[in-house]
Amino acid sequence: MNFDVISPKTTPELLNAIYDNQSKNFRIGAGFTDLINQFKAQETEGLILINLAQLTEVDFKKISENEINFQIGALTTASELIDNKSIKENFPVLYQAANKLASTQIRNVATVGGNICNVSPSGDMTAALIALKATCHIIDCDGNERKELLSSFIRGLKKTSLTKKELIKNITIPKNFSKNIKSGYEKVGSRKSMEIAIVSLAYHLQMDDKGVITYAGVACGAVAPTIPFTTSACEFLTGKNINDISDSEKEEFAKRVLSYANPISDIRASDWYRKEVLFNISKTIFER
Amino acid sequence: MMKVIGKSHQKLDGKERVSGKAVYGHDIELPNMLHGSILRTKYPCAEIISIDTSKALSLDGVECIITANDVDVNNIGYKKDHPILKKGTVNCNRDEIAAVAARTKEIADKAIQLIEVEYKIKEGVYDPFEALKETTPRINEFGKGAEQFGNKNMAESFHYEHGNLEEQKAKSKVIIKKRYELPRVTHACIATSNITAEFNNFDGRLTLWSSTQVPFLYQRDIAHALKMEPSKIRVIQPIIGGGFGSKLDMHPFEPICALLAIKSGKPVQILYSREEEFIASPTRQPMVIELTTGCDENGKFTFREVEIIKDNGAYTSWGATTPFVMMQSYSSLYQVPACKFDSHAVYTNNPFAGSFRGYGNPQATFSIESNIDLMAEELGMSQAEIRLINANYKGEITGQGLHFKTCGAIPALKTVIEKSNYDKIMATPNTGRYRRGVGLGSMLHVGGGAKIYRSDGCGTTLKIDDYGYLTIVTGSNEIGQGSETVLAMIAMEELGIPKEKIKVINTDTDVKPWDVGVHASRTSFVAGNSLLGAIKLIKEKLSKKAIELLDVVTDDWEYANGMMRFNEFEIKLDKVVREMHFASPHELCMVNYFYEPPSKFQDKDFKGDVSGNYAFASQAIEVEVDTVTGNVRVLNVHVSQDVGRVLNPVGLQGQMEGGLATGIGYALTEEMIYEKGVLKNPSFHGYKMLTSTDMPDVHFYPIETYDEAGPYGSKGAGEAPLIPTAAAIANAVSNALGVRFYSLPITAEKVLRALASPTPPKEGLLREAKPVTKHQ
Ligand SMILES: Cc1cc2nc3c(=O)[nH]c(=O)nc-3n(C[C@H](O)[C@H](O)[C@H](O)COP(=O)(O)OP(=O)(O)OC[C@H]3O[C@@H](n4cnc5c(N)ncnc54)[C@H](O)[C@@H]3O)c2cc1C
Repeated sequence: MNFDVISPKTTPELLNAIYDNQSKNFRIGAGFTDLINQFKAQETEGLILINLAQLTEVDFKKISENEINFQIGALTTASELIDNKSIKENFPVLYQAANKLASTQIRNVATVGGNICNVSPSGDMTAALIALKATCHIIDCDGNERKELLSSFIRGLKKTSLTKKELIKNITIPKNFSKNIKSGYEKVGSRKSMEIAIVSLAYHLQMDDKGVITYAGVACGAVAPTIPFTTSACEFLTGKNINDISDSEKEEFAKRVLSYANPISDIRASDWYRKEVLFNISKTIFER
Repeated sequence: MMKVIGKSHQKLDGKERVSGKAVYGHDIELPNMLHGSILRTKYPCAEIISIDTSKALSLDGVECIITANDVDVNNIGYKKDHPILKKGTVNCNRDEIAAVAARTKEIADKAIQLIEVEYKIKEGVYDPFEALKETTPRINEFGKGAEQFGNKNMAESFHYEHGNLEEQKAKSKVIIKKRYELPRVTHACIATSNITAEFNNFDGRLTLWSSTQVPFLYQRDIAHALKMEPSKIRVIQPIIGGGFGSKLDMHPFEPICALLAIKSGKPVQILYSREEEFIASPTRQPMVIELTTGCDENGKFTFREVEIIKDNGAYTSWGATTPFVMMQSYSSLYQVPACKFDSHAVYTNNPFAGSFRGYGNPQATFSIESNIDLMAEELGMSQAEIRLINANYKGEITGQGLHFKTCGAIPALKTVIEKSNYDKIMATPNTGRYRRGVGLGSMLHVGGGAKIYRSDGCGTTLKIDDYGYLTIVTGSNEIGQGSETVLAMIAMEELGIPKEKIKVINTDTDVKPWDVGVHASRTSFVAGNSLLGAIKLIKEKLSKKAIELLDVVTDDWEYANGMMRFNEFEIKLDKVVREMHFASPHELCMVNYFYEPPSKFQDKDFKGDVSGNYAFASQAIEVEVDTVTGNVRVLNVHVSQDVGRVLNPVGLQGQMEGGLATGIGYALTEEMIYEKGVLKNPSFHGYKMLTSTDMPDVHFYPIETYDEAGPYGSKGAGEAPLIPTAAAIANAVSNALGVRFYSLPITAEKVLRALASPTPPKEGLLREAKPVTKHQ
């Protein structure tokens, strides 16, 4: 591996670095847990690396809240998410997803922005954020800002809407409007840690005080080129009482989740297994 | 009363290892050292039309390149059927075609890519059953199968039998015949393969810093490969980051590194990447076992008949001799009146298998213990009971001639049955998402070395210096198993010298006496006995001098705190040694001792008492199967093992837990996935070795039988903990689900498929459903 590294400390320095290198081959890196692996497999000569790890800008790093949403800096690590009490209380799905990612060592450096921009169908934090209807806040080197819903920001396998001028500054998650939530992240794999999901299911349901589901966010990982937000399954749940979902309704919900799955077979599991498990775990989320 | 033995002692080099101070092969740096890299074949089966190294040679920083045409060497391997560098044809995806030495690793790797090889691709043979067909071409041109075994692709073959099979079959009420399939798994040593070589062209001596487990055999093998004199080769073992049997064979990269050093005139180092480690280091033998077993109406075993086809891969390693161990389990694990055993290792274009902790025994035990459960079921007898009534016993001489002078088989079985609540869990009905089950597995393994070479012995030299420090020079090796700590403990016990004053020297063939190597769970046994013999001699020396100095008559000294004591007489050891050195007649306080175990060579029919003693163990393993995902979680492992005598409890516990981690992975998750000879999962991402977070609670109950052959009554213990693990887990899964698996690993996918279909699918076909593509 042989490349030049630029380590901006401030946003202007960062944007300048992106601006100055538009004609060159550059990559942005945060925790490098994905990038280093990519660099091992490719020619890196002439490559310029813009390293976000030295950035001191708080917008990129902090977790904060206002009346309508939570803001999570793109450089927030999985460990920082886990340690944040508000995240744990409000969004168990995100807490669990971050907690089930890799191992402590990786979690200490792996960032939310990196997880999203790596656009892996098995990205754990990404799946949780899709279920939470998160929005990406994007800036570019000309000083423009824009927002885009995460589920549309991801455009396909390994594809996002980012241009060469842009990067993610932070992510926002709408606040819960109810305290009555059912939220979690199911990750299926053969190891408890250091495992990439074979199938995952991120769900975040909000109920009124009678238990009627008023909001449903469900996304499934590793079963399609991108992580789908399972709109029809969510619509099916909305209006139903969480305490009173029949077996046939569970089946119907699971079928609807499954309709978003178009998995491949690889060395870790067949498409058959992925579908079977997705269907199975979808049925079980009501049971705990 | 023992003061030291039986009490936990931290590993001698524990602090260095955990603090990063330990010097592994990867840490060695010599002046002007070059870095080597190996070009392996692009195709597992092909003809090499041409090799062009000119572009690579002209790369700045490249110092030398070798191909088969540049070297005068012998074939290597147990059957000498393995060329170090290949020419003409390549036979498996590890095959070495050329090697480069360059100033940096990066340059060497780049040079490798610049070597142009023209191939004519051939359709390989990847299934041993296919390889046995008459119409299949010969795979290894050096193989002697046609002459020796009547089939050109047969690499090795073993036949064993005892008892009257037909008579026993006639007596049988139940006969179970099943076919078992075992996967290819790898050692996954944390330190990847490494070697550093330096050649002195003035005196023609070669020094190798190597992680071998068998330095003296290695010295001989390297010498044969390179056509050198063995004594001109010095083997130094740096700290070894994992052996597990993988380093019993010498592998091509080792003589290749030596050749690069000889040709370049500079030291050369070769370090594998993790991917290369997966692709090019040895594996456990994959095999298909067809086992027929019987028992009479009381559940007494009558016979075992087994036929094994092993996928040898393209070349033959020591791994081909695993039937030595396997036949012991078929003939003698539990009482077996009649046994017939046939095993054939067959060449294929898959990578060759090597030896691996357990040496064939996990495979054999998986089949035996599964069949036992099935016989019990068929007979309507409890699975615990059938094992107890057939268990080995003290004094038994088995059909194969193994003599169990001590035997902890029954106590071990009883312990785990009781501690695991076996009967209760077995009887508990199982419904709902999570199903619990428990399974039993037992094993038999050599505990006092194994006489396979002309000597199974070990030498020791002892020296006490003027300051009362003891140096133990032992022929045996430390590969992380903790044997040098045990040796220090023995010396502490016997000579009363504190740990801080003991040095164990065991890394240099120029210095240390002969030993056959670390394998067969033998080191503490043979090296311990050898040390005890040496200690006896040095005590005689010390006693003689002390008697003279103190003017007393006794040979009943107490050795403690660096002193020798008899009644009111006492003297410091260092004082005695100084008097030996400095006073007339001026002698050294040094002794040599060679220990050869009492075991015997087996005869041509493989009969005889091959080990100094035998280890027995049982495991009861409790699992929980998630019927939603198919994942099997191991909850509790109850292990009871006849270790003769516990020497170092913490070290022994380490062996248990490490072995179990390997055994659980073998049962549930680990598998090297090959497609037409190409490894599809050469990384820890795709190869599912379990992590510490997956480890269950391990409840260990040692059984002490005080076998007189072992040091303080101990037996070898290193391999045993993983041998019955897969068997017990498979039995537990079957208990949990009512579905039995005949192949390993029992993956989540296999479990779900079995649950989804009333007739379980034919195993082995699972992954062929769709072409493999990469997910991310
Ligand atoms: C051993 C191991 C285990 C792993 N296990 C898991 C797992 O269990 N679950 C899981 O989901 N992932 C896992 N990963 C993948 C990886 O750790 C995560 O995807 C992680 O979140 C990536 O974050 P990073 O900061 O390291 O990204 P980097 O490697 O720094 O970057 C990844 C990509 O994102 C881009 N990028 C980073 N930040 C930004 C930004 N602010 N704006 C625009 N683009 C950006 C980079 O250019 C690059 O393309 C594992 C990786 C390893 C090495």
